[in-house]
Amino acid sequence: MSEVTSESASTTETAEAPVRTVPAAPPARHTGRLAGPLNALAPHAKIGMVVGGVLSIVGAYLAWSTFVLNEGAYPERATLTMFVEPFGVTGFRLHITLLGLATIVVALLRVPAKHRIVRGLGVGVTAVAVLNGLWITVEGGGLGAITASDGTVAFGSIVALVGGLVTVLSATAGGLEDKPVWEWKLAWWVEWILLLVVFVLILLLVAEVLTSGGQGGVVNPYAGVVFLSLLAALAGAFAALNASGLLTWVGEVSERHRVFSVVVLLLCALALPFTGAGTEYWMTVASNIGVYAATAIGLNIVVGLAGLLDLGYVAFLGIGAFVAANLSGAAASVIGIHVPFLLVMVISAVVAGIFGAIVGSPTLRVRGDYLAIVTLAFGEIFVRSAQNNIAGLTGGANAIPNIPQVALGSFQFNQSISLGPIQLPGGVMYYVAIVLLVAAVMLVFGNLKNSRLGRAWIAIREDEDAAAAMGIRTGPIKILAFLIGAMLAGFAGAFFAHKTAVVAYDSFRFLESVTLLAAVILGGMGTIPGAVLGASILFVLPEKLREFADYRLLLFGLALVLIMRFRPQGIIADKHRKAELAEDPEDAAKEAPGALPTEVK
Amino acid sequence: MSIFLSQIANGLMFGSLIALIAIGYTMVYGIITLINFAHGEIFMVGAYGGLATLTYWVPTAVVARWYFALPIALVAGALVSMLVAVAMERFAYRPLRNAPRLAPLITALGVSVALQEAVRVFYPGATAAIPFPPLFIQGAFVIPIGDGVVIRYTGILLIVVSLGLAFGLERFVERTRLGRAMRATSQDRDTARLMGIDPDRVIVLTFAIGGALAGVAGVLYGSYLNNINIDMGFQNGIFAFTAAVLGGIGNIRGAVVGGLVIGLVRALGGQYLPGGTAYDYVWIFVVLIIVLVFRPQGFFGESERVRA
Repeated sequence: MSEVTSESASTTETAEAPVRTVPAAPPARHTGRLAGPLNALAPHAKIGMVVGGVLSIVGAYLAWSTFVLNEGAYPERATLTMFVEPFGVTGFRLHITLLGLATIVVALLRVPAKHRIVRGLGVGVTAVAVLNGLWITVEGGGLGAITASDGTVAFGSIVALVGGLVTVLSATAGGLEDKPVWEWKLAWWVEWILLLVVFVLILLLVAEVLTSGGQGGVVNPYAGVVFLSLLAALAGAFAALNASGLLTWVGEVSERHRVFSVVVLLLCALALPFTGAGTEYWMTVASNIGVYAATAIGLNIVVGLAGLLDLGYVAFLGIGAFVAANLSGAAASVIGIHVPFLLVMVISAVVAGIFGAIVGSPTLRVRGDYLAIVTLAFGEIFVRSAQNNIAGLTGGANAIPNIPQVALGSFQFNQSISLGPIQLPGGVMYYVAIVLLVAAVMLVFGNLKNSRLGRAWIAIREDEDAAAAMGIRTGPIKILAFLIGAMLAGFAGAFFAHKTAVVAYDSFRFLESVTLLAAVILGGMGTIPGAVLGASILFVLPEKLREFADYRLLLFGLALVLIMRFRPQGIIADKHRKAELAEDPEDAAKEAPGALPTEVK
Repeated sequence: MSIFLSQIANGLMFGSLIALIAIGYTMVYGIITLINFAHGEIFMVGAYGGLATLTYWVPTAVVARWYFALPIALVAGALVSMLVAVAMERFAYRPLRNAPRLAPLITALGVSVALQEAVRVFYPGATAAIPFPPLFIQGAFVIPIGDGVVIRYTGILLIVVSLGLAFGLERFVERTRLGRAMRATSQDRDTARLMGIDPDRVIVLTFAIGGALAGVAGVLYGSYLNNINIDMGFQNGIFAFTAAVLGGIGNIRGAVVGGLVIGLVRALGGQYLPGGTAYDYVWIFVVLIIVLVFRPQGFFGESERVRA
């Protein structure tokens, strides 16, 4: 429901908007593979878009399946039960309807960057139709499930798909404009309220996404597709909002009120337990995401800022976790002393930092790919040693179980809290703690990035020799990147140990390092929200796609390949990075294949 | 003494296997400066390809006779690996030829994960280790030194095939037109193009040769250890990469020497260093780090070729 508001907001605001950059006129003629049909369609683009929108809505209201998919109590009408009930407008039908409506409205109004917005909406409709159609086909046993059988007709997915495609094609035919730039400046309190509304919407959206489809698994086989379908719809809506230039504008507004934004965002994050996601299960999921987000931010310092590819980074999370486990007073630890949690976090971070400096020391002599291999080797040494229970510190295959909960006085962190009439679920305190931890890590990252040190890192990333020539002492600064990155992971590790109560070497394998790296890259290297977004996506997806658990890693590998192929700069692109990753033919020519690679990555 | 000699023999056998994989690494890195992480998986795919051929397409009467089964399995494994390697180059790496260096590396990681999982999901029973039929004369002979040094015939096969293929490949690269084209492409792709060489074809050829050797290695590995699992690619791939670096990357002879050294380190380290066989892998990584830090050009690499 939250995207309803943002959607309608976008259309009303754009109508009365003063714009600085007038979008460029649409190109007169199309070239390329689809040139013929597109040029033929160009004069009728507006009609095409409206037809596409109407078809989408009609498709949403038709039956989607020739049989009843779900007789169980969950997820009731909210999601997929209404495949055979054309008029229950909830779940993905609601999403398609909204996208279709927005398509029609935008197509008819004089809106800047109209075609680009409509294309985003069309892509959303197409993706939702394809996802649900495919799912019904596969689960329902063949094409009969989405066409006609036994006298039942269910062309919903096909009609919606056609609607989406017509929308996309017509919008493209109409000519895609540049993204407009908005320059509104409102009174400060108006902007504050606006930001507040936006952030609360984001909070609700996050809660909605997190819980959509419910808990995955055998009980609820729909979790995956409901979740993906919502994601697809949201992707369409966001593409449209982004094309309208409004997202960029809101970003600028929040940049103007930096402190306010940060505080409100933090409060919103802390308010998640009060939304629909406030159950013990989702709190656990959210806390795990937080651990990996904090770690990913640490990795982002090493990879994103300093450009030093680290393939064994998860070892630092492991070191932090094992240090914490040994100092927790758990029965299985050989040290057997109990140290207060806050102190444990510091010790874990320091130990991890020391190891970080050790792992980073080869950077003095090794660069690029070779450095990646050195870090990989360190990571493997860590896993092997932990597996063999080195010095009795890691428990080997038995792990270190029964790590006591963090306690404040007599209150244990996994207990539930009641605030007056509101009963908060167990694990909430862990969630709160991890949110604060992530916030602290973000703060560190943000300040470092804009500091002298951060600029030195970026300079090293861009060109190490030039940086050295500018007087940057590259050696210590590179080691510092490893040290700080490892410390952040160590913090997260200490938290991880207490939160999960079991630390086993198995959690820190090479694949985890790759996943973290993928999170940083997927989100956008060198950006703060990027790492958090990437970590969220990569650690929520497996939770949601339990029914595809067998294919999880296969899809993950393919996704990595596809991301590198089509969007190497990640979802949120860093400005410097963007310039660097642009596939400029001139750049490509300069970087002659035989030439020595100068970039340090 | 006999223990020491046995470990030397074991090390050389394992090492020649690693050398065969390392050649693929070293050739690909030499020609497009890409650490092809997925190469270890190509090796694994070859083993499964050979096994599938023996299991599903060849009558058991034929499998029972090693002089039929061995060449069939080797050729099948090599073909499967070659096809996968070429497809990988075509669809994953070629589009990124001019992309920043991080992109192909991450892609290689992705391909590696995907290949491993594809085998796990789609090969029947691949979730656990699968027994591999013996493809050579079983048994061993004993060299009468001390308590006797046992040498398995399969191990001899391993060494002979590996060194033979490596030798043949080196001759190919040194003596033939295509080999010269490969060397030219690895030195300067643009100039090679000006000389009438099609770099794309040469790169495909490189992947094909490397893949075929890895496939052979996979089948030999299966028949040597008598079972295969999907993790074999990653672990041995890293060893092979270490071997390639050790020998000086881009250098076939170096890869072979590096492989043998790795084999010896593993066998002797597992025997004599603290921690025993549980830590033998660790010693390989320690060697890797030391070599990369102190002599990144390896044994045979030219010292002035600084690599970023």
